Amino acid sequence: MSGSLLLQTLILGVLLGGLYALLAAGLTLYFGVMRVVMIAHSAFLILAAYLAWFFHRETGLDPLLSLLVTVPLFFGVGYVMQRGLVARLRPATLTMMSVLLTFAIALTIEGLLGFFFSGTQRRINLGYSGSSIEVLGAHVAVVKLIAFGLAAAALAGLFLLLKMTRFGQALRATIQHPEAARLLGIDTDRIAGFGFGLGLATAAVGGTALALDSTIYPSLHWHWIGPLMAIIVVGGLGSIPGAAIAALILGVGQSLLQIPMGTTWAQTVFYVALFATLLVRPQGFFGGRLAQRF
Amino acid sequence: MRLGPTRRPARAHLRRTGVAATCVVLASTLAACGLDSGSGDADDDEIVIGISLPLTGDFSEPGKGVQRGYEAWAEHVNETGGLLGKDVRLVILDDQSNADRVASDYERLINQEGADLIFGPFSTRLVVPAAQVAQDYGFLFVEPAGAADEVFEQGFDNLFYAAPAVADDHYNLLAEQILAMPEDQRPRTAAYATMDDPFAQGTAYGLRDKLAAAGVETVVDEVYPPNTTDFSNIAAQIADSDADIVVGGTQYQDAVNLIVALQQLGYQPDLAAFSTAPTNPEFPSAIGEKVDGIVSPTGYTPEAQFAENQEFVEFFTEKHGHAPSEDEANAWTTGEVVAAAVEAVGCADPSADCQQQLIDWLRDNEVPTVVGPLSWDAQGRPESAHLIQQYVDGEIRIVLPGDLAEAEFVYPKPAW
Repeated sequence: MSGSLLLQTLILGVLLGGLYALLAAGLTLYFGVMRVVMIAHSAFLILAAYLAWFFHRETGLDPLLSLLVTVPLFFGVGYVMQRGLVARLRPATLTMMSVLLTFAIALTIEGLLGFFFSGTQRRINLGYSGSSIEVLGAHVAVVKLIAFGLAAAALAGLFLLLKMTRFGQALRATIQHPEAARLLGIDTDRIAGFGFGLGLATAAVGGTALALDSTIYPSLHWHWIGPLMAIIVVGGLGSIPGAAIAALILGVGQSLLQIPMGTTWAQTVFYVALFATLLVRPQGFFGGRLAQRF
Repeated sequence: MRLGPTRRPARAHLRRTGVAATCVVLASTLAACGLDSGSGDADDDEIVIGISLPLTGDFSEPGKGVQRGYEAWAEHVNETGGLLGKDVRLVILDDQSNADRVASDYERLINQEGADLIFGPFSTRLVVPAAQVAQDYGFLFVEPAGAADEVFEQGFDNLFYAAPAVADDHYNLLAEQILAMPEDQRPRTAAYATMDDPFAQGTAYGLRDKLAAAGVETVVDEVYPPNTTDFSNIAAQIADSDADIVVGGTQYQDAVNLIVALQQLGYQPDLAAFSTAPTNPEFPSAIGEKVDGIVSPTGYTPEAQFAENQEFVEFFTEKHGHAPSEDEANAWTTGEVVAAAVEAVGCADPSADCQQQLIDWLRDNEVPTVVGPLSWDAQGRPESAHLIQQYVDGEIRIVLPGDLAEAEFVYPKPAW
């Protein structure tokens, strides 16, 4: 492997890892807040990607502007979904039943996307889709850089929100000890709804980032859910920094392994990491015990 | 054609509306059962043609394209005097893209629906089991959609593929063109990236083997699974090799993603050839203005100057408001091939004798069609070539072969 290829691959791996981190953040949040395995998260990503594409097609404006609509919209949908559906599941079987419930939601979203936009693959064609910046002989695609910037901004915002605000404190209290939080006067039901909404709002950002540099089609979400689940397990369920670190390591690992092993085997890095984690350290490598910290 | 078993998998289970279409088809089939008791008598005043198509499931989108082509062909035949003076009536069943179901569909078409003739379904995966049933009953089996090698390696002696060339031969005219270049202009190195799919791989490897034999060195040979969405690493390897030409054995979304990833890395090959995607009408809007010089093989273009094709395009456009696509053309071609045999032999009934005469006639004769004159080898492989198209000034144009060309083949390609 030549030095320039190694550098190029590393850069691509870091950019890919950043996108993975953003896409996985919401997933780990749901699990952290309420032990919900949210199979539909990647379907919402694709939905956001379609909305960005549709917005661009209809208005000709930059798809990033669609975030002004999709982020609050997804937050609201997440809140309603948690209060209206997830909260009605019996606590004893919550984790399992949430898989079934969100599986159904994923199928519904996929079906509706197919119905309204057909199965044709779509791609947002931006003037700068093929542009890149040269760094030490390696090329950094502008769209990938934007996606990475979005991921960094969204994750930093999420982290600050959880650490610095009263809402963040209430959410963390709800996660760590719901009964104690209730005794302190926190409306844990509402907070859980907001937590879910927050997770879905990250899906709006992630899906838009994804749409900048990828062809989208309604069933694409099935390709994402596996790697994303692997990332949050390796990172420690419920830990956002854990998910971010795991995403970066796995993204770079996948990129580097792809050169000697080929694309097919490089994809298995997620599943190997998943099995290894479950065998060696089921609580994940970077989080504490389930979702004890951010 | 672009017909590997995993072709366009993503469109898969998307068209829920297909359910409604199926109901219509099934309803018409049930009505057909009432009208026709299935004897296929010689003095019937119509010729019943049995077809099973994937109208729902994985291949529903191309399946419906094939259905439109078959129906347009039948209408055209009936409007122009019928076959042997009789009207043709299509009985179309929905196999749900299911290989088990397609076999029982053809059993039913032959035994219960009284089919005088049968036409093939869509996709290699469905063509093989369907052809087996046809073989068991001694029926002629002309199919619009099975280009992978495995179709022709089963020992069927009743099968004919109604398109210009099998997957391995799609890039033949391009190979000839490259090998005819003077030594000092010929590319020295080539990079190949291909989907792990018998059809897509077949196209790229047909070209790779011919160029390698002539001394063009293969510097990258990547195979990726059909669900790959991130092509930046494959692109990085190709760009790093700085190969003179890049060839993709691709379907749609993978070609688009790979081309953009290559552009992002500033890689400028002398030739960029990708199967399937560039001929898709969505392609230029997905890639933007940087399409010029991209090359693709195609089995069909509405612009082809064959007299049959001009008539077809006119008829189809009048009915549907747009020019026919490759799927629709393949179906129409199937109809033309069977009709030519029927008119030549003078029979269209399920008897073993008639079907054998039809098969024998096609073995020995050439049929003029919308994709040009077709003839077949003993396994049913067509013996023509795919056209080569290239984007010139933002429009896709035929550049090879020379006698059909609408524009000059550009090499090296302009920068993208």
